[in-house]
Amino acid sequence: MAQVLARQDRALSPEETEALLRDRLGDQVVGTTVEYATFTLEVASAGWHAAAQLCRDEPLLAYDMFDCLLGVDAREEGFDVVAVLYSTSTGNRICLRTRCEGGREAPTCPSITDVYRGADWMERETYDMFGIEFEGHPGLEPRLLTVENFEGWPLRKDFHLASRVAKPWPGVKEPAELDEEGNVIERVPEVGDAPGPYDLDKAMAEQARAVNAPAVEEGAQDEAEQDTGSEAAAEATDAEESPPETELDQETYERLLAEGKSERIARSKAKAAYIKQQRAQAAGGDAADDGPSATGGDAAEDGPSAAEKAEARRKEQAEARRRKAEERAAEAEDQGAGDEEEGA
Amino acid sequence: MGVMDQVELPKPIRYVFNWGRKYSLWCFNFGLACCAIEFIAASTSRHDFIRHGVIPFAHGPRQADLLVVSGTLTDKMAPSVKRLYEEMPEPKYVISFGSCANCGGPYWDSYSVTKGVDQVIPVDVYVPGCPPRPEALLDGIIALQGMIQNESLKERIAGRRLDPITLGADAPLALEN
Ligand code: SF4
Repeated sequence: MAQVLARQDRALSPEETEALLRDRLGDQVVGTTVEYATFTLEVASAGWHAAAQLCRDEPLLAYDMFDCLLGVDAREEGFDVVAVLYSTSTGNRICLRTRCEGGREAPTCPSITDVYRGADWMERETYDMFGIEFEGHPGLEPRLLTVENFEGWPLRKDFHLASRVAKPWPGVKEPAELDEEGNVIERVPEVGDAPGPYDLDKAMAEQARAVNAPAVEEGAQDEAEQDTGSEAAAEATDAEESPPETELDQETYERLLAEGKSERIARSKAKAAYIKQQRAQAAGGDAADDGPSATGGDAAEDGPSAAEKAEARRKEQAEARRRKAEERAAEAEDQGAGDEEEGA
Repeated sequence: MGVMDQVELPKPIRYVFNWGRKYSLWCFNFGLACCAIEFIAASTSRHDFIRHGVIPFAHGPRQADLLVVSGTLTDKMAPSVKRLYEEMPEPKYVISFGSCANCGGPYWDSYSVTKGVDQVIPVDVYVPGCPPRPEALLDGIIALQGMIQNESLKERIAGRRLDPITLGADAPLALEN
């Protein structure tokens, strides 16, 4: 009884633990995984008790602290029971997992209350929520968390919620699904639509599929359009949205060009300078307006500046699009040249 | 209750009597979930409902005039609320604080949550919100005080539901409508 602090240096690595457990438990071990820094040992139901006993009594493992025990609904395969143990002498944690016998109808699992007293109420809770019978438990009834006369096993995936049967789940799953115009899609639920979590999952998945299908198609179309889009089309949009020269700070533009910068850089820098100027002007106006009616002045100034920002953003996008089109054209030319060479 | 529920007090006396009652509400906090935190916030110095004459944290239900149920009431807990309510002496008032206590709130479809504390005990004031702000509780308290000021104790006692709601194994919980 000398060790007080956990000694990680004496702890077995997951590989060593696995080798040890496989050696002692033989073919009761179904598998092991290391996920999220937790070593999980899956054992057959028959070896459940032996595994817990071994984990506690084997000096190399010394899992002396019982952490928690819970049930898992494995749908068609039945139910799993998971126990988490901790070793205060090595600081290791282990997760034991087993599949209950008896399928969905009568899941049973050996109790480990005689190994860990702390498992008592955890097993009662698991019984409450999943209806898993723990053989050898001192007394699972009366029910611990639900009212004594509760019927059913509420954490089973096929448990039907009475309120949900009477009143279906309203609305759509978050994040809100939107149609093309950005309106929230309203689902009209039917009575009995999704009486339990499992059905709700299914209903929502279906709904999401229905909602998202057209959006995907649209995206694909867009792509196709872009790909087949001729230079002419690109130019057409260009003409529409290309920034008029007045949007540039001519001074900066010319200076940069004179300095030998490329036209593109000069253009973008000049634009930035222009926007900066505009902002400065707006701010100056603000300051001038400041006074007793400061809020009013602010509001009035806010409008144009927001609009301006939007404008600037639009311009920038147009610019980017044009640049891309140019690049593509250059690429096409290159390719064309390559083709010719090959032909020759 | 003695004579109070037998005779109607003359109006001026009733006014003074009710005025005294409404500013000395010993409050019994039935904190069950997150809303209880807001209740506590309402009782501390920033919102301070003592200035409205609500004295928080009565020693027990037998010393309390006002029961504030704040939080999620489960079917398992419902009998206790019922029982503590019945331990309170008349005249007694109930504020249901928060969506959970009002109607089940976010747990409207839960298997274990009572869909409103008014299924178990009569409620005077409902404070909506999830959780309601402490100011909302102050508002609820003032509404309740307005009610107390204008009421006749005789009528209140007469209007009380006398047959208790039975809870327990022989009567299924919260399922009879
Ligand atoms: S109403 Fe909201 S905040 Fe209040 S107890 Fe219920 S869940 Fe918690």
